[in-house]
Amino acid sequence: MWVKLILLLLFCLMIAGAVYFAEPSKSEEPNSTSRTPQGSLRLLTWNIGYAELEDDTRAHDKDLPAVADVILREDPDAVALQELTGDAQLKTLLGLLKGRYRGAVAQQGSGDRFEAVLVKDTRATFTPVSARNRYALAASFRSRRDSPEVVLLSAHADAFNAARRRAYTEELIDWAQQRAQSTPIFIAGDFNFELKAANESNLYTDNLKHDSESYSHILRSFRDLGRGAGDTAINDRRIDYIFGPPDLNRVGRVEVLRNAAVGRMDHWPLLVEVGF
Amino acid sequence: MFTLLKLELEKLFRARSFYLSFIVLIGFVVLMLWGFYTYAARKTGGEAVEQFKYTYESKQYFNGLTFALYSLLFSFTLLLPIFVSMSAGSQIAGEARTGTLRMICTRPISRASLVLSKFLVTALHAGLLLTFFIGLNLVVGLIFVGWGNLELYPGPLNLVDAPGKIMRDDALMRFGYAALSGTWALLVIAALALLCSVIFDSPVQATVMTIAAYLTLYIVGRVEFFEHLRPYFFTTDMDFWRDVFKPEIPWQSLWHYASVCGAYTAGLLLATVVIFERKDIVT
Repeated sequence: MWVKLILLLLFCLMIAGAVYFAEPSKSEEPNSTSRTPQGSLRLLTWNIGYAELEDDTRAHDKDLPAVADVILREDPDAVALQELTGDAQLKTLLGLLKGRYRGAVAQQGSGDRFEAVLVKDTRATFTPVSARNRYALAASFRSRRDSPEVVLLSAHADAFNAARRRAYTEELIDWAQQRAQSTPIFIAGDFNFELKAANESNLYTDNLKHDSESYSHILRSFRDLGRGAGDTAINDRRIDYIFGPPDLNRVGRVEVLRNAAVGRMDHWPLLVEVGF
Repeated sequence: MFTLLKLELEKLFRARSFYLSFIVLIGFVVLMLWGFYTYAARKTGGEAVEQFKYTYESKQYFNGLTFALYSLLFSFTLLLPIFVSMSAGSQIAGEARTGTLRMICTRPISRASLVLSKFLVTALHAGLLLTFFIGLNLVVGLIFVGWGNLELYPGPLNLVDAPGKIMRDDALMRFGYAALSGTWALLVIAALALLCSVIFDSPVQATVMTIAAYLTLYIVGRVEFFEHLRPYFFTTDMDFWRDVFKPEIPWQSLWHYASVCGAYTAGLLLATVVIFERKDIVT
């Protein structure tokens, strides 16, 4: 009888322990992203393409009014967009933005889709960045007339091959590091890294290793500003990033705008506010 | 109770399967060493260096502690649960199969004490297996791969979401913690196997049923279709033991999952005792 009593007691004790040590749910956690620093730079990145099941997975013209609405509502200083069909689509979007932004698309690389950057600064300059048969696009701009110049790089790494993602990332970071001494550099875009650690125990694969190498390489020189914001794409994936200088004064609002996607988009925009 | 424990320990140390489990683990370490060595050689030179300019997989990364960690994490998922299931699954059903269970139960001992002593012996076996395996990996790692700090990167092993490092002495301490947390997690399998051992009269059946349940939940838990069910599988809770290898140990989460595993173990043991006390032993 005493054995059963001890086991019952132990069982109850363990249940009580599990309840006592249970972590608070996300809604109970303090909101660390609500603080808005003064004199901040607001950046947004968004892959506005469609999920793989669609015939054309690039951005669709019919979604551009909704994209423009989100940009006008959130009012970022600069926007990194991915998977546009080309210059014509960018012009349509700039028209919908009522002339409040300037923009450019990257050169066409080996793929059929383009990265783009939109900025409010009318004196901004745009620079194509070549990396492994692809082109990213950098914009140099000022968030205010008296603020220092910053660079935002819009990037999109290969969706299907981790080794190509790694080689692409290495070249982008090389480009960024050469300029990071003189100008704060922000790198934003869809990197397709599959690195989710929570509650999984995958065995070792070369793809994981490549993504791990790529992400770790970026973190040697940059800070992952959207780390706490959660998934940015369907199927619980965090594959869109904004990387910034490691010595930023403040990181304010960091949010994935989960109500923003329209049509069959598979990504949500990531918004980050930082202070210098 | 102590006499019972002494007798069960004697049985354990006389069983060939006890020594077989250690021999298989030695074989696994040899296999891991070969794979790790050749992989490290490939990834720190030649084609890899030509293809990529930057790599964390320097020779410094591939050290004895990294080797021990990989070996431990790989084996814990698939190898150690098999031995624990075999050990626990044969405890009652093995006695039934050899015809000694009836004789034991005619002695003036309670069935609950018998179950408890068999479970404690199984727990000791699990602890010894894990401690031996960790120790062997560290020794082999030291001799054949060399010492260094334990560097962790996001992705492989899914331990961290940002690059981190555990200094050598601290890392050795973490392996000690892993022996404790790992054994605690394995007790869930031991308790399940003991329950199966009471339900089934064949040790093979008991072991196979336990492994089947474990593997089914483990695999189903990794398929995204069943993502919403994952938190309810004991295999998910068992993963807590790995948290001791995170640069900052999440103590609250660790105690939570350790308690959940403890509840599974105690609950399964209680069910085993209740069923065994009502069981009509005819073999």
